[in-house]
Amino acid sequence: MSSVTYDQLRVLYRTLLVFATVGVVILAIGLVQFAYFERPGQASGIHARVVGVFKYDPATGKTSGPDRSEFQRNEQFAAVVDWNSVPGGVEVDARWYDTFGSIEGHIGPAPAADLVNQSVVAVAVPQGYHYVLPGRYTFVVERLQGGIPVEVLARRFEVVDRT
Amino acid sequence: MITATHPPAADPESRLRPRRYGIAAAIAAMVVVALIASSILNYVFLDTIPARASLYGLLAVALITLGTYVLVRAFNRDRATRRKHLIRAGVLIGLGVLLWLLVIDVFLFTQSAGPGVAAVCALACLPTTAFGLFVVRRMDRNHKEPWRLVLVAAAWGAIVATSLVVWGETIWEQSAQHALVPGPGLDTSLAFMAGILEELAKGTAVLLLFLIMRDEFDDVVDGIVYGAAIGLGFNFLESISYMTNIYSIFQAEGFGFAAAAIQWYGRQVLGLFFGHATYTAYIGAGVGIARQLPNARQKIFAIVAGFIIAIAGHFSWDAWANFFPVDNTLFGLVEIHLRTLVMNGPFTAGLIALLLFGIRYEGANLLDQLRKEAATGQGAILPEEVAILSSPWQRLRHRLQAFSRAGFPGYLRLSRLQTAQLDLAMERWHRERKEIDSPLEAELQLRQHVIDLRHWVAA
Repeated sequence: MSSVTYDQLRVLYRTLLVFATVGVVILAIGLVQFAYFERPGQASGIHARVVGVFKYDPATGKTSGPDRSEFQRNEQFAAVVDWNSVPGGVEVDARWYDTFGSIEGHIGPAPAADLVNQSVVAVAVPQGYHYVLPGRYTFVVERLQGGIPVEVLARRFEVVDRT
Repeated sequence: MITATHPPAADPESRLRPRRYGIAAAIAAMVVVALIASSILNYVFLDTIPARASLYGLLAVALITLGTYVLVRAFNRDRATRRKHLIRAGVLIGLGVLLWLLVIDVFLFTQSAGPGVAAVCALACLPTTAFGLFVVRRMDRNHKEPWRLVLVAAAWGAIVATSLVVWGETIWEQSAQHALVPGPGLDTSLAFMAGILEELAKGTAVLLLFLIMRDEFDDVVDGIVYGAAIGLGFNFLESISYMTNIYSIFQAEGFGFAAAAIQWYGRQVLGLFFGHATYTAYIGAGVGIARQLPNARQKIFAIVAGFIIAIAGHFSWDAWANFFPVDNTLFGLVEIHLRTLVMNGPFTAGLIALLLFGIRYEGANLLDQLRKEAATGQGAILPEEVAILSSPWQRLRHRLQAFSRAGFPGYLRLSRLQTAQLDLAMERWHRERKEIDSPLEAELQLRQHVIDLRHWVAA
């Protein structure tokens, strides 16, 4: 193999290694970001009780029917949380995430004791839309620290049919 | 100065090159076992639509794999039996593609948007993906890869690589959604999932293609071409999947078509070369550079480096694209383009730099081999042809002259002669570097083939 040929190949090889080093830095930043938002050692042992997810009437603000895990697209629904199951001083919130990960309804953040009278957390129909979007919804009750959610105290998944 | 050389004998049992078909078979077996086990587990425990698709898609994957093997082996056979094997390969790959489309239609799209919408989305993505493949193949200015292999690479990306990620992503996503706090932490985890699993799946296809088509996988340029083709195939199927999904979500609000069209533009126009094609081309570049490196440690580093860049590029887009501000105004349209340019542009620019350097490196070595072959006086390459063969524009000019003299048949004949001459130069280059398995007789046959073609063109 001529030295010129090998030198050219070496340039390609080293360029690739330099790019890979940048790649390692990017992945390391990603790990730091993950660790910042998913902090280790945050398990408090607290569990929030979700009474259920029910059909919801936005006009009256009331829920009805049985606890369900699947809804039609033209139905609205809400989770009912028993805030008394969480120690009153703990800062919490409750959120609905749609299939794209967007927040579609929330309550809090506030100390759990302040939310006792707001047990119904409804999914909102996005502005300008006729119905809730179909797909998988996630409901979480979260414990916050410094304004950042650090622990999920309760979690429910719901499916909204496409038809 | 032109000096005569005699090609050294082949080095088929190099210590640096273990039996590649054995490695390919082992990787393929692992892939198939992983697919079967995970698909069955998914089907039993999750019972989701994608799980059913991956289970029933196994037969399609097996057919594509077998068809690829028969296709590649067909070109090692004599002309008398080649046609028969090509037909067999075509039937197997065709059945695999049809079966996969059927599986997708029935189990993915029929239940969301319907087969009609799926067909329209597929038709919309075909011309853009074909354009992408055309451009990617044209990038190899010195020695273009055969269409059959570029298309096989794209089919692997579309069918095999997508099948591989379905089960892995289902498990990762389900576990993360049950364990992590929704928001940036979960999003970062899912970005790692997409980067790692999708690039590993596509990279496995690159590695398998390299192992079974090593004779057509010459260097970094070929690696970039095959990697990008696999990425384009993957992007094709992913685009259809996203378009049909988004259509079905927004159909009831009256703008399903517009939502699908925006997806199409983002994935098939704006992101055609910036996304999957760029990421997987890096894996191909790593494998292509490794193919020519002299020692095993460097080979491994090069392949791993290619994977790391691909995973990092994919991860950064999935994790941080949402941080780029996009206003809900008309200027948002500009910002969407800027986002792609700013976030994926540096990766694509780096790849183009590797490609340009690789083309120059390949071109210089082909020129060297063309000169050496011309100096042997055996008649396969004449001294006055060296300057023409080493320049893509000169080659095209001469083909066009042949077209004006003898029409399209004349153009095609000269094109075949030029291709065979460049094949010979490439064969000599690999033989000189002791990185070829075929015996010297293969080179002698290739030389005779060029001489026969020359007589044919002259006639």
